Amino acid sequence: MTPLLKPRALFIGLSLLCLLAIWLSLALGPVSLPLLDTLRAALRLLGLPIEGQGLEQAELILGQIRLPRTLLGLAVGGVLALSGVAMQGLFRNPLADPGLVGVSSGAALGAAFAIVGGALLGGVPEAIGPYLLSFCAFLGGLVVAWLVYRLGRRNGQTHVATMLLAGIALTALASSAVGLFTYLADDATLRTLTFWNLGSLNGASYSRLWPLLLVSAAVALWLPRRAKDLNALLLGESEAGHLGIDVERLKRELVFCTALGVGAAVAAAGLIGFVGLVVPHLVRLLSGPDHRTLLPASILAGASLLLLADLVARLALAPAELPIGIVTAFIGAPFFLFLLLRGRA
Amino acid sequence: MRSSARAIALCVGLLASHAAAAAELPQRWVSAGGALSEWVSALGAESKLVGVDTTSQHPESLKKLPSIGYQRQLSAEGILSLRPQILLGTEEMGPPPVLSQVRSAGVQVELFSAQADLPTLQGNLQHLGKLLGSEDKATQLFEQYKQQLDQQQAWVSQARKKQAPPGVLLLLGHAGGKPLIAGKDTAADWLLQQAGGRNLATHTGYKPFSTESLAELNPEVLVFADRSLSGEAARAALFKENPILASSAAAKAGRVFEIDPTLLVGGLGPRLPQNLKRLSADFYPAAPGQASTAQ
Repeated sequence: MTPLLKPRALFIGLSLLCLLAIWLSLALGPVSLPLLDTLRAALRLLGLPIEGQGLEQAELILGQIRLPRTLLGLAVGGVLALSGVAMQGLFRNPLADPGLVGVSSGAALGAAFAIVGGALLGGVPEAIGPYLLSFCAFLGGLVVAWLVYRLGRRNGQTHVATMLLAGIALTALASSAVGLFTYLADDATLRTLTFWNLGSLNGASYSRLWPLLLVSAAVALWLPRRAKDLNALLLGESEAGHLGIDVERLKRELVFCTALGVGAAVAAAGLIGFVGLVVPHLVRLLSGPDHRTLLPASILAGASLLLLADLVARLALAPAELPIGIVTAFIGAPFFLFLLLRGRA
Repeated sequence: MRSSARAIALCVGLLASHAAAAAELPQRWVSAGGALSEWVSALGAESKLVGVDTTSQHPESLKKLPSIGYQRQLSAEGILSLRPQILLGTEEMGPPPVLSQVRSAGVQVELFSAQADLPTLQGNLQHLGKLLGSEDKATQLFEQYKQQLDQQQAWVSQARKKQAPPGVLLLLGHAGGKPLIAGKDTAADWLLQQAGGRNLATHTGYKPFSTESLAELNPEVLVFADRSLSGEAARAALFKENPILASSAAAKAGRVFEIDPTLLVGGLGPRLPQNLKRLSADFYPAAPGQASTAQ
């Protein structure tokens, strides 16, 4: 099957899409700012001394609300899509998503612990509350992913099939623990938990942004270097081994990068489904399964799609806001069905 | 001529100073708390509200205002798009980063307590009155409220001399299915006690019950708060979904009563005394009716 687009055309197209998404994300919102004000406020943010009526308000909305939110969307979308590629490559299965190694359910457990446990212990100081939540979610994701990886290892070898089953079992275990916390929760914490599970880019602030930016930059720089090895892994584990690739190390890196990236993304924005599953498919449809294109292109596509989904989330019900997980699943699920049916035809 | 010019100048001056005083008070209000919105309306300032959250359901006219979403999941830009000068909410309002964004945009953010007791209500009403420039009205409303609750207490203790307090369960449900039972430390528990009932549930918070323990507790009175149905439809759904309840003493005696579930959230609201009165009359059917207090 020949790909629809050459890599160069794909990258140009996706870069333009990404720039457009960034521009829309900065320019649109429930507060309608005239285009000129947005531009002048942007210049002011860059340090140019521009004066004008109402510019302070515009600068605040742009600098303190839309810019951190856009950066958060870029990082979360990019890292989720990239982890999706890593997992689909590792399991050599197009149905794989970052949830398979238990990162998402572990993070959900960590979050439930922080939200409900914190309330049960008599409340957390408001200053550290949000950080505690992010920290617990991140830690929960890492611990469960590490357990899944350990359970998949036998005699110095990682069995992908065992890992898959261990992932399913631990996900079930984590969900039941979340269920227990749900039972213990009172009305208010229950709603916090529910909304956290649907994800949101709302309330992004720089202080909580930089850990995620660091982690996602590291993952985004590291994983594409392993593109050739992932290509070889598509042939099969032993074949890749015969090609001189340290398969065990590759698997370890894939799981580690996914756990780190998804853990940080989930800690910052809650659970956002379907990006990790659908975006790699979309890119493969456009340009084929070569990981040298697939990995970097998925970052761009994931970031753009998440920003566009966030635009829907914040404009659809303005001045109220939809959780972004609802939007991504609403777009993602029908698309996934379409892929399934198309394959059958 | 000169004196009339003076008089005009004086009038203009007075008007201007009056307008200035009024202008210092916030004129565009957003409220993120059901009971708070109700009190703002009760203080006669509904016209100042430009947006409310999803818990603000009363009075009915508030539903026409733009909704800023659920109080715990507010959006900074959404709120700012309403150009408010002040944002009201309880300590449940959040998330905290959004509140600090709203604050840094120059919006006055005022936090109130949602605790269900009279001193809290007094503090809240005084605060609201000051912000609205109608302190006298706020004091007056509070005095009335307190008086109503005092009368209510007096009535209940009279009624208790003739009849033992009935064992009650409060069921919070959705179209009758799998109701949650209100236990200790809930607004519902406080409500039942104020109305003179004895809450049979001893757990904390709202929890589902097994039908067996429901049968064992055998409540004399059932109070239900249904989020989607009301009246006879809700009652019928409750017994249809939970047949065991039909054999309870309450059902046999026909002592199954309804309250509005929005009374249970966000602290003491203005509709509470009326509802308490009705509920306690249901609890103590033999006692003489309470004199209606002037509203």
